[in-house]
Amino acid sequence: MAINNTNNNTEPEQAHEVTIFAEPVFHVGNFQITNSLLNSWLAVLVIVVLCFALRRNLKQIPGKIQHIFEIFLEGAMSLCDQVTNDRRITLKIFPLVASLFIFILVNNWLGLLPIVGSVGFLANEAGHSVFVPIFRAGTADINTTLALSLAVVIASNIFGIMIIGAWKIFNKYVNIKALGGIVTKFRKDKSVIIVAPIAFFVGILELIGEMAKVASLSFRLFGNVFAGEVLLASMGAIFLYVLPAPFLFLEVFIGLIQALIFSLLAAVYFTIASQDHEEHEEEKHVAHA
Amino acid sequence: MEEFINTFHIDWKLMVAQLFNFGVVFLAFYLLAAKPLRKLMKERGEVISKGVDDAKLNAEILEKTQKASEEIISKARMESNKFFQEGKKDLEKARVEHSERIKMEEEESKKNRVKQMEIDKKALVESAKNDIVALAMLAAEKIMADKNIQNKQK
Repeated sequence: MAINNTNNNTEPEQAHEVTIFAEPVFHVGNFQITNSLLNSWLAVLVIVVLCFALRRNLKQIPGKIQHIFEIFLEGAMSLCDQVTNDRRITLKIFPLVASLFIFILVNNWLGLLPIVGSVGFLANEAGHSVFVPIFRAGTADINTTLALSLAVVIASNIFGIMIIGAWKIFNKYVNIKALGGIVTKFRKDKSVIIVAPIAFFVGILELIGEMAKVASLSFRLFGNVFAGEVLLASMGAIFLYVLPAPFLFLEVFIGLIQALIFSLLAAVYFTIASQDHEEHEEEKHVAHA
Repeated sequence: MEEFINTFHIDWKLMVAQLFNFGVVFLAFYLLAAKPLRKLMKERGEVISKGVDDAKLNAEILEKTQKASEEIISKARMESNKFFQEGKKDLEKARVEHSERIKMEEEESKKNRVKQMEIDKKALVESAKNDIVALAMLAAEKIMADKNIQNKQK
């Protein structure tokens, strides 16, 4: 283990650059333990310890930590209510959305600690001595953000199946019902021959949209956190003192905002998945009639 | 896709590991923080709402009690006033009766005393008369005795 500024004229040239991927620190059999995974474990430890501390000190008359948690819980639930417009859905999705927020936030903020990115060891890669930091922000690894995004999109669809049923969710993507409508509704409405294929195509677009959700969620978070790391490293390289401080504050803010965006978008996806569009359309038809 | 995976070092094992981490956070947050905290807040809310309801009920009871007590007090005041007036009248009546009785008794005793005095006076006069008669008789006897003596001496 070494500190990254141990450059010495007698030592071979060392490369230290922020890589776009998480670097392996050690291996357990086939499984590589990366620096971002280590940071995630640290984040999990922090959160679990906090939760245990809270659980042990729960009282009817709240203390300081409980008070903060209660304010967070109330605020987060009212924010979630604003997205879902339905308290029942909020109650169902809130634990997942809130834990997403906390996990991402703690990962983002732990990535800003002084030990992250600066404490590491020198590894030999293709004849070059490369500095590998032991910790890297968990969300500065695409594996983390991609896993979370996939989980959110899959979970939102499962939630949709639980709320409105598997057939409706299936028809949302592969609109067999619309195609079947050509046969059943053609006598009444001739325009169905044009509308139904469009509806079917829209379903396929929805399917692509789900993939886009995964991409947008994962790359937004990864891009912002990784860009923050690069920015801080660049500022630190230009001038070690004072100059990085405002950017550090900016990163604290960005870490919070990104966690909030990710969790709010997750809440939006869950809400969209739990709404039956056909019912809305039928309601519209009734209203027009 | 291959290039994308190689560039970002995407590894499904790492993704599973990160999902496992998130799962641990979810369970810890849900079981240790969100669920008990919401239960506690709900209980507290129930206690507060029960307290508010009780306070409303107590306020209503207090209002009713105050009205009832005011009614009782005003009724009691009226009754006491009535009793007072009646007592005052009775007292006045008793006072008048008493004073009349005293006056009558006084007059009667006055009459009795006058009568007694007259009886005493009569008795005194009688006694004085008797004394005067006795004296007169004694004087007459003495004069007669003296005359007898003078007669004898002569």
